[in-house]
Amino acid sequence: MAEVEETLKRIQSQKGVQGIIIINAEGIPIKSTLDNSSTVQYAGLLHQLVMKTRSTVRDLDPQNDLTFLRVRSKKNEIMIAPDKDYFLIVIQNPSD
Amino acid sequence: VSSRATNVSTSGFLRVSHSRTHSRSINASMSRRSFSLAGDGRVLEKAPMQPARVFDENGTDVTPQPLYRPDPAAVPPRQSKILMAQDVSGATFSDFFSSAFHTTYASFGGPFTRSLFESSIVSKSSQSTMESLNEEIEEPSSKREGIISLSDVQVRREEVKEPTTEDVLNKKVDIHLTETETLCLLDIPATSVSVESEEAEIVKQRNAAYTELCKNRMGNDKYVERAMQTFNGAPKAKEVQTKSITKVDAAITATNWDIYDTLSGTGVEGASCLQKQENFSLPASSSSSRTEMEVFLVPVEDAPAPEVILYSEKFQQDLLVMEKVVLQNIFQPKLAAYRQLPILKDPDSTQKPKDTGKTEKQIQKTEDIPSSPALEPLWSFTCELTVGRNVSSMTWNKMNPDLLAVGYGHFDFEDQKSGLVCCWSLKNLKWPDRIFHCESAVTALDFSGHNGCLLAVGMHNGSIATYNVQSKEKTPITDSSEYPHKHTGPVWQVKWVSQERAHSEEEKGEALVSVSADGRICKWVLKKDLDCLVIWREVPGLCFDFHPEDSNIYLTGTEEGFIHKCSCSYNEQYLETYKEHKGPVYQITWSPFSPDVFLSCSSDWTIQLWRQDLLEPVLVFTSPCMAVFDVAWSPKWATVFGVVTEKRLEIWDLGASILDPTIVQDARPGVKLTSLQFASESDCILLGDSDGQVGVYQLNLNLGEGTQVDVLEDIIRSTLASQL
Repeated sequence: MAEVEETLKRIQSQKGVQGIIIINAEGIPIKSTLDNSSTVQYAGLLHQLVMKTRSTVRDLDPQNDLTFLRVRSKKNEIMIAPDKDYFLIVIQNPSD
Repeated sequence: VSSRATNVSTSGFLRVSHSRTHSRSINASMSRRSFSLAGDGRVLEKAPMQPARVFDENGTDVTPQPLYRPDPAAVPPRQSKILMAQDVSGATFSDFFSSAFHTTYASFGGPFTRSLFESSIVSKSSQSTMESLNEEIEEPSSKREGIISLSDVQVRREEVKEPTTEDVLNKKVDIHLTETETLCLLDIPATSVSVESEEAEIVKQRNAAYTELCKNRMGNDKYVERAMQTFNGAPKAKEVQTKSITKVDAAITATNWDIYDTLSGTGVEGASCLQKQENFSLPASSSSSRTEMEVFLVPVEDAPAPEVILYSEKFQQDLLVMEKVVLQNIFQPKLAAYRQLPILKDPDSTQKPKDTGKTEKQIQKTEDIPSSPALEPLWSFTCELTVGRNVSSMTWNKMNPDLLAVGYGHFDFEDQKSGLVCCWSLKNLKWPDRIFHCESAVTALDFSGHNGCLLAVGMHNGSIATYNVQSKEKTPITDSSEYPHKHTGPVWQVKWVSQERAHSEEEKGEALVSVSADGRICKWVLKKDLDCLVIWREVPGLCFDFHPEDSNIYLTGTEEGFIHKCSCSYNEQYLETYKEHKGPVYQITWSPFSPDVFLSCSSDWTIQLWRQDLLEPVLVFTSPCMAVFDVAWSPKWATVFGVVTEKRLEIWDLGASILDPTIVQDARPGVKLTSLQFASESDCILLGDSDGQVGVYQLNLNLGEGTQVDVLEDIIRSTLASQL
């Protein structure tokens, strides 16, 4: 239990990490280090994106499944670890 | 039995030709088969055997045709047997009534029921006369129906297939195709006849006769018009009200993986995904249908509570992966340098290039000009746990070259904190993958070569423990602290040695050899328990190294400054002794390329290069002016080795110079360097210091591709030649 907290703190303290969001399977944020409006916005949009991505991966090969998703943009990078029950989202700007 | 003299109330066309005095008693028994009309019967019944015919005055046959005419041709032959068996002729009173029933469900019974009454002729007009009779015999008939149905059932039972066995399935079955007899389903006789056919004349005549008849009908006394009035039932309106039928729209998107999921049995997941899918495809729908969808969501399992998610095992693993990803992003250029990949500049980087950073032109230039040998710092393994601890030993994992085990512990007797072993991975530079706390300071480490997960740890209090780094457990697998023959002094070095020459099958494998300050070199074998075999006594050894090719021969350096060459088979005597050092020998290492050459370093400020057949060192390096703690050969170049003193790191390249080190790097102020390790797959060096940091530096020597073994041999030969 404490390990989870420690790891979260370590990630948060790494260089360039802007925020960590954890949302449950329905798209409702459980834990977040960003403000509420951003959290809700990220949660809603990324939930749909992950569902679409997962559907794509599985359509191509039903035995396959999505394990990790990274979206690299000009300003930052969004990393999503999807699971059956939750999504773990980290937003980082590595060149900070 | 009463004699019934029924008045025949037919249309008066009957000519009763029998006398009235004769009365026939009608037997209600079942055995009666038929009764003839020709005779005394006043009852108008049609005996099936002799169909009665009714004639009118003119002699035309106006017998009422039966409404029900079973087709005798349609009877399966089997049924006739049953009929015989049951002695049913079907020509009795009861038949008429029961046949009425059967006519209604003749369609269900099919050929069975119909066949029973094939010979019966129902006369609807006469039914009323026989009703009372039939009531009495209704029951037996129903019984008979039961019997009949039973027989049907019995018949059907015979048709039950024998259970199909493998043999039956494999048997060759002959299938005969035959044409069934023609079943006539509908037969509408033609109402028109061709003019040229034979019947044409007759038909024409008949038609003419008919028209005559019709004409004669007008005003003929024989034809009387008569009107009838029928009873019309009073219509009644009836209202029924039902609950409103709720209609729901259901839609589904059947995706490829959805079908696969349901087929492979993860139906529950499929269903819940389905719900989510439907939930998802609804964003544009109206609010009413959304409420309906919510009704659907109820049967789906509830999403687990947040706490359950947050503290689940999977989540922790995902977090670790995420941490590695984040760190990889940050350290990508360093890791690329470590892996000797070209460092790519981030095209979207908003940062201005630093002054020390090279612009593209400069990078190209430096690629052309061979740069001077340099040590480039990449990163350092350190975390809050290790700060302040002295790095005592480092070792790479033999199976996974990205895994590094670092042992932390003080060498001195005072200041004894508990020891720590951290397994660092190249994927996570900021936090070790495994942390093992030991009771006493760690002084020696080695990963097993056979079993990559086994890590042997030698400690200051003389105990040796083995850990399994694969599991998450924090406790050692074996611990020699309870062992009666354990070492009583600090274990300075442990090494896994594979035993090629084994006396028996059991001994093959790996043995752990340890040297300790109590004067023994022990070989530990993991059978059921840790078993110790003392190889040597009375050797206050500090270090040892087994010959890379012959695992029986090893060198050991002592506190007195001697280097002994020993063999595992001779316990009593040294094979050779090399006496040159004036102080304790801290490290001995065989050259990985040249089988006879080894290096030794000692606190007498010297590093000495030996050849095993010569009792004098070939080369002596005296550059460092302080005790040398560690020396290591480069795994890539035969002429390169690294040396660690308290304040400096020196990289020697014998090909370049045998008098001076090629690269010298000073330690950070206030920090003492303690240990050195080369990376096997990369050009990097790891440097451990007394502050708990393991710095990783990239070595740029520009030595080319070859291992330079020949260079080393040349140097040795020329040195020897010059000495002579």
